[in-house]
Amino acid sequence: MNTNLVDVRGVTKDFDNGKITVNALRGLDLAIHEGDFLAIVGPSGSGKTTLLNLIGALDIPTSGDVHLFGHDLTAMSRKRRAGLRLTSLGFVFQAYNLIPVLTALENVKFVLELQGVDGGRHERAMSTLEDLSLGELANRRPNEMSGGQQQRVAVARAIVSRPRLVLADEPTANLDSENSEALLIMMRELRDEHGMTFVFSTHDPLVMAHATRVVTLLDGRVVSDEVKNAGEAAGGAN
Amino acid sequence: MRNPLLAKFALRTLGRNPRRTLMSIIGVGVGCSIVLYMTAFTRGGNEMRIRGISESGFGHARIAPATWDKTRDSDLRLEDWERDLDIANGMAGVKFTAPHSRTTALLAFGTRVAGVEMLGVDPSSEKNISRLIRVLSEGRYLEREDEGAVVIGTAIAERLEVELDDDLFITIAGAGGEMKYAMLRIIGIISTGSRTIDSTICHVTLAEMERLTEYPGAGEITIVFNDPSYIDALTIRLGELLEGPDPAISWKVVVPSQGGDMGSDTVFMNILVGVVIVVAVLGVASAQLTAILERKREFAVLIALGMKGGQIVRLILIEAVAMGVLGGAAGLVIGLPFIYPAATKGYNFADMMGGDFVAEGVLFDPIVYADMGMWLIPLAFAVALFSTLVAGLYPAWYALRTNPTSALSLREA
Ligand SMILES: Nc1ncnc2c1ncn2[C@@H]1O[C@H](COP(=O)(O)OP(=O)(O)OP(=O)(O)O)[C@@H](O)[C@H]1O
Ligand SMILES: [Mg+2]
Repeated sequence: MNTNLVDVRGVTKDFDNGKITVNALRGLDLAIHEGDFLAIVGPSGSGKTTLLNLIGALDIPTSGDVHLFGHDLTAMSRKRRAGLRLTSLGFVFQAYNLIPVLTALENVKFVLELQGVDGGRHERAMSTLEDLSLGELANRRPNEMSGGQQQRVAVARAIVSRPRLVLADEPTANLDSENSEALLIMMRELRDEHGMTFVFSTHDPLVMAHATRVVTLLDGRVVSDEVKNAGEAAGGAN
Repeated sequence: MRNPLLAKFALRTLGRNPRRTLMSIIGVGVGCSIVLYMTAFTRGGNEMRIRGISESGFGHARIAPATWDKTRDSDLRLEDWERDLDIANGMAGVKFTAPHSRTTALLAFGTRVAGVEMLGVDPSSEKNISRLIRVLSEGRYLEREDEGAVVIGTAIAERLEVELDDDLFITIAGAGGEMKYAMLRIIGIISTGSRTIDSTICHVTLAEMERLTEYPGAGEITIVFNDPSYIDALTIRLGELLEGPDPAISWKVVVPSQGGDMGSDTVFMNILVGVVIVVAVLGVASAQLTAILERKREFAVLIALGMKGGQIVRLILIEAVAMGVLGGAAGLVIGLPFIYPAATKGYNFADMMGGDFVAEGVLFDPIVYADMGMWLIPLAFAVALFSTLVAGLYPAWYALRTNPTSALSLREA
């Protein structure tokens, strides 16, 4: 099991809102492998976002443990978890997650600056944008781009430092099917070419169609885990 | 710069809500300009006070007999006044010196009498240090060679009903305690414009005083320095040079009530300045906090991306520094139109209060000029930067506590 990128074992997560306690996750096990293009689905409130928060080292479980690249997240300090996110994880959020006062290029460069990358930030950011065919958007600010364009720039920002794992919470929720399709094809290519691992939470059948693996949650537990063959999954891409 | 985008991010953020940023800057600017105006006036007032004291013949400092400070006995004399005078005249930073001797005297003319403190002066030195003797309504001021001559103030002349060239009958208690009598001719009558001062002036030459009292020499040497801002240091330096039994004391010791007033004025002003700064800080802090609350989701995203606490604090403090620089500039722009006329035309307190500006023999100029100088610029930026940086601390701390899990879901934002 050492090859697992992520190991979630016996995880529960409770939210205590004063009087009532919500058991968002109730004993969840999940292993994510290198190269997975994984969709986490399930009804609203089933715990998808909660699970992504745990895998993304943004939160810690109430019980059980989460291993990320072999590190036990529950044993790490906030600061070390922040360092791990910065160097090894990429995030694409539902929407509105680019820095509004920076251009597309600057948003991508900013991640490199935060990482303390010294030389060639501009070239690296620009080539990432160009690889994703976003070169002509480089000098636009978020409010000068469509939602789909913003999400693709967000993907560029998430992958510029070549993280091993990219997490995306409902990345297509605010996109029309055409833009969703373009975004998924782009990420799928990154996975195919660079062996990056993607994990999505989604309600979108389109995302499920592109996924190589679909995990279904219900009431904080995994109720099904379905691996699709490559040809079937890539079908929409060609 | 290692973090060019962090700075860009911070500076562009200021332009995101230009109205709020402008209002914060104006708020800081107004607070800053009030501090500048008050400081300029307090400094101007202090200068005026020191000038008034000095030009009323008290100088900036004096060399006085060791026990004078305690007894205030006008018959005390310096051990070796000529040596002291030479040392003072030889010291760098000393502009003028004037030796004085004093005694209490009773002036009589016919059946009318007036008690005064008679002052022995070196006429040429006295003209340098005192503006009180510059305006005579009749006659002339003393010359060194004058014998049997006295100059008095108009109020004394009116009280005694005397005129120029009348002979006054003088009674004084001389050395050894016996009474001494003399006749002195009035050669000049001084009019300072203040009745209070004019009722105290009675000048004779140092030599005359020596003859009358039989106390030898001078009772003190009044000193005027070139630069009034270094009075304390120069007084100490003079004391060191003297090495003698007679110390150098500053005007604060000579006219203690004036020094005390200045202290309480300064405390009062510092409190006012403090209140103004606190108000500015609270205003900016609340605007900043609102801005941070609006950007809660943005901070959640930044923290989720792995931005470190120190970088977030820096982001907010760069905004504060930029706002401070603009606020300081605004403070100068808002403040100078008020300070400039106050510094050039002055503010006439006579219009407001009327009457003499006299306390303890000091004739003050009723027009106070604000002190305007290059020192306003660093003060403006220091006050503004202090305000915006302090105002940024709580919002920065608040931003640091943003929970990154709220970045993932729109619901919690
Ligand atoms: N911070 C929180 N405080 C309290 N309850 C929470 C919190 N976060 C999540 N929950 C609760 O935990 C449960 C799981 O929430 P979660 O957001 O993981 O669901 P989800 O599967 O992402 O739903 P959706 O599809 O609507 O995004 C829900 O009942 C939710 O109300
Ligand atoms: Mg969710």
